[in-house]
Amino acid sequence: MPTPVKFPRLGESVAEGTVAAWLKREGDYVEKDEALAEVVTDKVNAELPSPVAGRLVKILVPADQTVPVGTAIALIEEEGAGSAKAEEEEQMAPAEKAATVSGAVATEQVTSAAAVQRGTSALSVEAEAVTAEPHDGQQPGERQRISPLARRLAREHGIDLNEIKGTGIGGRVRKEDILAYLEQRQARTQAPATAMAAQLKPAAVPVESPAAAAAARGPEPIVGPDEEVIVPDRMRLAIAEHMVRSKRTAPHATTVVEVDMTAIARWLERNKEEFKRREGYSISYVPFVMKAVCEGIRKVPLINSTWTEDNRIIVKKRIHLGVAVATDSGLVVPTIHDADQYTIAGLARRLNEVAQRARSNRLTVQDLQGSTFVVNNPGTFGTILSVPIINQPHAAILSMDAVVKRPVVTEDDAIAIRYMMYLCLSFDHRILDGAGAAAFLQAVRAKLQSYGPEIDVY
Amino acid sequence: MTAVTYLEAISQAIREEMRRDESVFLLGEDVGTYGGAFKVSAGFLEEFGPERVIDTPMSETAIIGSAVGAALMGMRPIAEMQYIDFITCGFDQIVNMACKMYWRSGIPLPLVIRGPTGGGTHGGPFHSASPEAWFFHTPGIKVVMPATTYDAKGLLKAAIRDNNPVLYLEHKLLYRLPELREELPAEDYIVPLGKAIIRRYGRHMTILTYGAMVHQCLRAAEQLAAEDGLAVEVVDLRSLTPLDRETIKESVKRTNKVLIVHEDTLTGGVGAELAALLAEELFDYLDGPIMRVAAPDAPYPYAPSLEMAYLPGVERIVAVARQLAAY
Repeated sequence: MPTPVKFPRLGESVAEGTVAAWLKREGDYVEKDEALAEVVTDKVNAELPSPVAGRLVKILVPADQTVPVGTAIALIEEEGAGSAKAEEEEQMAPAEKAATVSGAVATEQVTSAAAVQRGTSALSVEAEAVTAEPHDGQQPGERQRISPLARRLAREHGIDLNEIKGTGIGGRVRKEDILAYLEQRQARTQAPATAMAAQLKPAAVPVESPAAAAAARGPEPIVGPDEEVIVPDRMRLAIAEHMVRSKRTAPHATTVVEVDMTAIARWLERNKEEFKRREGYSISYVPFVMKAVCEGIRKVPLINSTWTEDNRIIVKKRIHLGVAVATDSGLVVPTIHDADQYTIAGLARRLNEVAQRARSNRLTVQDLQGSTFVVNNPGTFGTILSVPIINQPHAAILSMDAVVKRPVVTEDDAIAIRYMMYLCLSFDHRILDGAGAAAFLQAVRAKLQSYGPEIDVY
Repeated sequence: MTAVTYLEAISQAIREEMRRDESVFLLGEDVGTYGGAFKVSAGFLEEFGPERVIDTPMSETAIIGSAVGAALMGMRPIAEMQYIDFITCGFDQIVNMACKMYWRSGIPLPLVIRGPTGGGTHGGPFHSASPEAWFFHTPGIKVVMPATTYDAKGLLKAAIRDNNPVLYLEHKLLYRLPELREELPAEDYIVPLGKAIIRRYGRHMTILTYGAMVHQCLRAAEQLAAEDGLAVEVVDLRSLTPLDRETIKESVKRTNKVLIVHEDTLTGGVGAELAALLAEELFDYLDGPIMRVAAPDAPYPYAPSLEMAYLPGVERIVAVARQLAAY
């Protein structure tokens, strides 16, 4: 069997994605991890590495088509696995092949041979259907061969083609198969036709994201002479879709604390240049906040969790922090895995690495997967208070805004000039209440304010 | 009333039209004294005289060119090519003059060019041509190819009465085939140009064909019915220009699979246009690829064994039809 290439899960929030372009053609040989295709998902353009070395035998999802994560998008035949396959896959002259298989065909050579041929191909399709489990939400069905007529008839009659076993050469679904199926369906008249159609699993066909669909199909807006129409690119559409979905999915509540960053600011003022010279990469407020976030998650583990569709909360024991990076082509959120295992300097180094990869469009699929919580830093744009939208399916998201000097009333009622920053947490109110969110923010603040003039970042 | 051959039907058509209409006349090589290379015009000189049955020099350019001139002057010439292979010598007069005349001048050009086409008679590379694709491609001329004795007469009469240039391609293999002998109606009749006919009905696939291949396809359909239980429909196009799109599409909509068979070579042949037309207009009625059986892209061979291999025959048609049925 050829190895199916599945659409990767590029970040847990991503339910579907688009094959932006195929970098290989059918018949091309690919090395393991060689780029197969460009894929676009929510916020991310990435190259999809081949899972195995072999020949790309079939592209199942053409460029520009949007499919659910996990959909098989191509088949790769590993080296040496080809010979046995080729027969059952490819057209053979039905009569003689089947005759050699069955051995028992003599007089009515053609008709009976054709029947045997039909028998075997139906069997092999059946076997595939069993292993592929068409009902588990993934769709192996796209590798089906379907005649144009059969495709139209299926559409007209609301038939899921996965329900149909093709009897043409190579298991191709053709007119006879659709008509036979319709006859069968007619026979089971107890269920009205519409109910049947509804019963048939709809997920099999690739879906277009609502945003993309709207953009593709919506009526052309009426434009005045002083207006201009912009057709959003894929990344913009993906972001739009994700934002709408997040707001629709999670009831957002937002809470803000003010953090005194003076100790860190002074330390940075004194050590930044030296640090960069010594280490070769720069350090900013962000790794401090990330470190503090890990501290906060340790105190309030629910922050690092997910509300599932069947109403369970899954708490993630490992902390993978997504960090928003602005690039020329848009916003990406690469992941720093096991962020809590790094020192502040270590986090700074990892941050530099992913930011550089992001800006040179060299992020790997790994870089984009598996974040459990996101730290957003609009403060670099000078903003002082930003209310973020949760990156689904996380429980919360933190925004750090600009560190600005502000007159502050200190503990002993004096007025002092301090480096202040707002931390803004949007959280999924299904998972957490204000108390939990506040406890997390308190812990983050406590950590950030715990530093003296000398900070050990290692 | 006796059954006549395909050749006699052609002869009858010309004679009857010449009797009916004085402006109709025949010109070509050896059509007079000799009565035509295949004896189509035997006895014509005696009946109509040398002004209406004109032996010409061996120049297709001159034959067609003078026919174009005569037609412009209100005559209805029938220009015979002794073998259709040599029509290429008059190509310019057809595609540049005849085909464009009405377009340029508004003067109708009632002209019939006819001649024996096709192979299977051991005629070799210069006496076996199927030239229909060149003229099928060219706007301004109608192209017809009768497959039966009835059609041979009816289409020729319709061609003579048509006010446009018509290329009438008779198949010389059919000239004297005993099985094509047919009793023709005593009364005057025509077969309208631009109308195909379904020679055999079936629901599993449509074979689109014309000329002598109609008979090969009918035999193949017979065999497929007997051995495979396949009901194959055979459409005889009869006219290539104008093409009877309605009949073609109606048939393909019912059968959903198409095999195109012609004796002409494959590339750029009539089949290519039919396939494109069906792919464009009936794509989601198709239950399999549009397939073609045609002569290979090679000059016509002389050796009998090669000729047998070159010409599409029942065996190849059956094999491809089976492939298509199983698709």
